[in-house]
Amino acid sequence: MSSMISINNVNKWYGDFQVLTDCSTSVSKGEVVVVCGPSGSGKSTLIKCVNALEPFQKGDIIVDGISVGDPKTNLPKLRSRVGMVFQHFELFPHLTIVENLAIAQTKVLGRSKEEAEAKGIKLLERVGLKAHAHKHPGQLSGGQQQRVAIARALAMDPICMLFDEPTSALDPEMINEVLDVMTELAKEGMTMMCVTHEMGFARRVADRVIFMDRGHIVEDCSKDDFFGTPRSERAQQFLSKILQH
Amino acid sequence: MEWLELFELALPVMLKGALYTLMFALVSMVLGLMLGFSVALVRVARLPVLSQIAAVYVSAMRGTPLLVQIFVIYYGLPGIGIEFDPVSAGILALTLNVSAYLSESMRGAIVGVSQGQWQAAQSLGFGWWQSMRYIIAPQALRLAVPSLSNSLISLIKDTSLVSVITVTELMLATKEVIAQTFQPLPLYLAAAGIYWILSASFERVQKRVEARLEASYRR
Repeated sequence: MSSMISINNVNKWYGDFQVLTDCSTSVSKGEVVVVCGPSGSGKSTLIKCVNALEPFQKGDIIVDGISVGDPKTNLPKLRSRVGMVFQHFELFPHLTIVENLAIAQTKVLGRSKEEAEAKGIKLLERVGLKAHAHKHPGQLSGGQQQRVAIARALAMDPICMLFDEPTSALDPEMINEVLDVMTELAKEGMTMMCVTHEMGFARRVADRVIFMDRGHIVEDCSKDDFFGTPRSERAQQFLSKILQH
Repeated sequence: MEWLELFELALPVMLKGALYTLMFALVSMVLGLMLGFSVALVRVARLPVLSQIAAVYVSAMRGTPLLVQIFVIYYGLPGIGIEFDPVSAGILALTLNVSAYLSESMRGAIVGVSQGQWQAAQSLGFGWWQSMRYIIAPQALRLAVPSLSNSLISLIKDTSLVSVITVTELMLATKEVIAQTFQPLPLYLAAAGIYWILSASFERVQKRVEARLEASYRR
């Protein structure tokens, strides 16, 4: 399988504090990789390095053959092809739902307003929110907002999707509606890198699991290996704590 | 002097002065908003050199009296060969002064839009300017309106200061009528009333703008 995202020896510092140390891994086309680990382990930072929302000082990340760290890379263009979903949804509060889905299509991809809105409506239908197209984000529940955020990313026809703790800010009863959309996406063959604590989702959907601790990638293995017998003691501890419930 | 007579004498002169006042306020407001937005952008983008210059400009304009600024521009600059007619000098001084305050309100509002909104905009492929124009600035505007309005209402009142450079706006017009009629109390009160009406009308405009911006969030 060819590699979609390839992360090679990435190091990142905030001042003197090293947040990422020699992180290397890759995500193949069509693969679903879950990144987990305790808070402060650097998993969100790592995933934000993939589309250069966070800069890194050493190493390289290649997305679909394009080097993210290369100063000559047209980052906006690269980012427009990589979908991202954030912990706090980050819908644009001054725009309606359908405008949220259309604005980057028209301003970045140059699609016509009609085409962009038609595509937006189609995607809203897919995540079950067509009826809310003309509301503002503030009128929707957290789960609904996150489904809109996923649809907004999909509207750009991304080559892969990054999820940064997409369910961490949600009330428990809303988590599943978001995970269902993500599961469906994975089944359709989308390449996905997901930072999440949802181990049930990882078990059902992931191909591989990456476990991070204190800026290092400690474990990078198939999901069966990870949930069967993780090699590192740190991952075993983490799993025993998180899987008790 | 009869009230009616005084009224007939004063009204045309003071209304003409009030029109000048309104003109000064509106022109400086528009120019000040444009300049203020540019200054805010330069500072938010942290453009090297330019942003330091902008910071010094804002500090100087906010740290010195408007009256002194007017004198420097109208009476001072001719010393180095830069001359303005009184109206231009007045507009220039008011614009430079108000835009410093406006730029700070806008800068605060822009910084007040969460970092997550920038990241979301950038993740969709927006560049810096596109993120600012389509995502950040519209939200910042809503945050900025109350404090922008404060500065703009001050501006309406501050126009009275350009009377010192022989511009017959409301204040100087009033003084001229008083020189003829020796009726300072009713005439100064009338001038105050006109300033109040102008400010209050502007407040109503502000309320409407706020309601419109607010409505787009709730609809």
